[in-house]
Amino acid sequence: MSTDNSRIIFFIIILLFFLSSPSGDGVTSQYEFIQLETLKSQLKYEYEVFRELSYDQNFRNITGLKLAYHDSKENPNLNATYPLPHKDYSSWKPNENYMMLPQDIIDKVQDNIWNRKQTLFPPNITSNLYGKINLTDNNKYTKIKMPIANFFDPPESFQDEKPADGEHYLAVDERGDAGNHGELHNVSWSYGIVDVSIQHLDSVENSLSLSPASISTGESQLGEDDSHWKILHLNVNFYNREETEKHSLSTKGIYDIWTGRILIMSQSAKFHSLFAFPHYLANTEKEFNQVKRLIEKYWNATNYAESLTMANLQHLSDEANTKCEYFGFLQLEPWDQFTPDQIRMIDEELKWPLGRPINRSNLPPIRLHNALLYSPDCGLSLELEDVHGPRYELQVRTIRIHLLLGVLLFLGQIYLLLCQMNFTNTPSSVNKISYWCLFMMNLVDGCLAMLYFLASPLLQELYLPLCISAFACFILASVFEIRYMISVYASQVNEQGVGILTLLRGGSEANTVVNRVIPDEASISSSLYGRFFFTLIVSIFILLSSLIWPKEIRTIFEYSVLVVLNSYWVPQICRNAVKGSDPRRRRQNGYQSLQNGDTNCIPLLWSFIIGTSVLRLIPIVYVFTYPSNVFRHDIDVRFAVLLSLWMLFQLLILYSQDLLGSRWFLPQHVIPDGYHYHRPVPQSILMEYGSQNNCFVCPICMVDVPVYVEETEETHKIDAQSYMITPCSHIFHTECLENWMSYKLQCPVCRAPLPPL
Amino acid sequence: MSSLKRITKELNDLGRDPPTSCSAGPVGDDVYHWQASIMGPPDSPYAGGVFFLSIHFPTDYPFKPPKISFTTKIYHPNINANGNICLDILKDQWSPALTISKVLLSICSLLTDANPDDPLVPEIAHLYKTDRAKYEATAREWTKKYAI
Repeated sequence: MSTDNSRIIFFIIILLFFLSSPSGDGVTSQYEFIQLETLKSQLKYEYEVFRELSYDQNFRNITGLKLAYHDSKENPNLNATYPLPHKDYSSWKPNENYMMLPQDIIDKVQDNIWNRKQTLFPPNITSNLYGKINLTDNNKYTKIKMPIANFFDPPESFQDEKPADGEHYLAVDERGDAGNHGELHNVSWSYGIVDVSIQHLDSVENSLSLSPASISTGESQLGEDDSHWKILHLNVNFYNREETEKHSLSTKGIYDIWTGRILIMSQSAKFHSLFAFPHYLANTEKEFNQVKRLIEKYWNATNYAESLTMANLQHLSDEANTKCEYFGFLQLEPWDQFTPDQIRMIDEELKWPLGRPINRSNLPPIRLHNALLYSPDCGLSLELEDVHGPRYELQVRTIRIHLLLGVLLFLGQIYLLLCQMNFTNTPSSVNKISYWCLFMMNLVDGCLAMLYFLASPLLQELYLPLCISAFACFILASVFEIRYMISVYASQVNEQGVGILTLLRGGSEANTVVNRVIPDEASISSSLYGRFFFTLIVSIFILLSSLIWPKEIRTIFEYSVLVVLNSYWVPQICRNAVKGSDPRRRRQNGYQSLQNGDTNCIPLLWSFIIGTSVLRLIPIVYVFTYPSNVFRHDIDVRFAVLLSLWMLFQLLILYSQDLLGSRWFLPQHVIPDGYHYHRPVPQSILMEYGSQNNCFVCPICMVDVPVYVEETEETHKIDAQSYMITPCSHIFHTECLENWMSYKLQCPVCRAPLPPL
Repeated sequence: MSSLKRITKELNDLGRDPPTSCSAGPVGDDVYHWQASIMGPPDSPYAGGVFFLSIHFPTDYPFKPPKISFTTKIYHPNINANGNICLDILKDQWSPALTISKVLLSICSLLTDANPDDPLVPEIAHLYKTDRAKYEATAREWTKKYAI
């Protein structure tokens, strides 16, 4: 009964939670409701003002557009009010008396940036561009004052019912202070990096593409001027190379397909730039009317004012309070090597690939010929240089190919690992492999798999290839590598707690260690899987948080992690030295009868060693040396070469260990002898356990073992190679014990750990 | 055929020096298939019963453990209805130094002291831990029914 009650209460709480959550516009209080209504009515009023504007009329009462550059130049303290005395509202000319731009910027845009030649430009320019940006002027221009309406501010106390009237100005002079508004206003560096992502609006806003009109006509709702003007959504980020200071701009722009011009203007609570597009973009009255109609259509199609939410309001307010406003004048490079039909075909093919005959690898990138950013309220002017990038679809295609090549690398790695696992199929040989060597490879693969998994829902177009990569990588890491690690770990369990020196001596003192019970594979595998996932989550956490570290620290971190993770042969080299082995020459001459054909001193196949090194080095070298790599990683050939040399050095040491014996670099006197299974049997053991005529019974085959006893003359004809004596003084036939050691490194009689052969 | 030699050797040893409460020998001509019998230990509820087991040697004996199962029904936490025995030395704790007579002795001691913490039949193990008298009564009853 009581559980029923609690279930009902739980249900009611959930229901209340859903019922009480704010409606679609995010308004949660009376204050916010008034804020939003004020914004809507202000926008609607300004829209009406805008509709009455014609080509030869100046802006009137529109937020952000009340002052022209000339007004502020004459009187820098002039406040933006409407109407200004002596201001000419009845005419419009593209000069600094009417525009917010200084005359030399206007001239520069008209003469150098926008060329107005009617050549061919691609109609769809969805892409991510990347290039350089320079600060050209910082303190030269007068800053235009732009007020923020007070109703944007959040309430100061709970009692506030209504937002305040009026407007306020940000303290213009103090903008150099970073602490003033939480984010940097001014651009304080002179050279930086810019990335521009361009999307067409119909692919951004669902309301546009989903409206019934566009479905019925099969065209974009933005109508008959579709082939001339396009509304774009742009994200412009620019930052210095150290990435200590970032500026971002996310707003609408209009693209003139006929001449390749793009005008972007930031939008915020202090600048309603939507209404300024016609005046700043058009040269003729016809163009003015087209752009104006486009804006009106956009307004109606998106239901602009009515669909505003609290989130929009807060965004506008944040943008106004923390960022400079920007004008951006961009000029695309023409695609005049194509005919209009070809361009249309390219566009269709990229959108719906059917195999039309276009040469994908030869498609020119989207490239900005010239571009300029100007901020009226911060007085900044920036120039963009060499900004280009492939069409988005092409970029996706390139990444997809890279991912599939990556999958091939994983498959190659899986194949090599399988060969290696086949090669070492006995505990005795697995014992010589370093656990940490495999652990480091496993960590890299696990992290990669995790990153692929994390990335797959974020990049929709790449979902499938990312999933395939994640799957291949995860199989490699969590099935094959972990399986191998488990068997390596299981064969080395009895060495835990044994000092390195003891190990160097070949475990001859291992019998002093308490006989530990060797855990079965199930418990080892569960503990290793647990360890694997724990390390994975911790390292992914560190990796992801390193993305937001300052670039300097991030680079140091990246380099050191790469170097450390690519030292995976070092543990193996140490392991070889600990386990010890004879040089290849001696092995081949003297020990053939004994070493049953195993001539490789290193427990790893050479094909595995070299293949793994190469497969794992390829992606790193690619990222560091290929100029237009997918990740936009900085080029550092020196590091790539150093890393490859380091890898080569490790391989050389491994090879020298194979050739000269694995302890050649250690001085002779620190090397104790390894444990010898074939040695004379002390008289004392014979007295204690032995049977008559100097024999023992082999516990495995239960047949007598004749042994060599130093003190007894008649045993001296016995070959010491025919039997083995363990550190725990038990005696077996060589054949019997070697056979058993391929199952388990444990003494059959007393379960003490056995040093491997 | 080292396994054959070893099995023959064990058979000879069993004949020369048979253990007190058990016996074992091949079924027919097949040396790899034996039958064994265990007398219920006197201080256990199985006292008086004679339990038969079948033993199959793998070809790589003694490196792999022999497969041993009860053919007589027995009520025990570590032995299930098919006669399978849950004993570590028959699985991962096998050692080639063990012999059939040692294993049979281990099974005898398992009958005396069951290991309810690693059970094969959880219900019997639960009863063993909570109501020892009832468990012993049932075991005695089964012994009477199937093993005498």
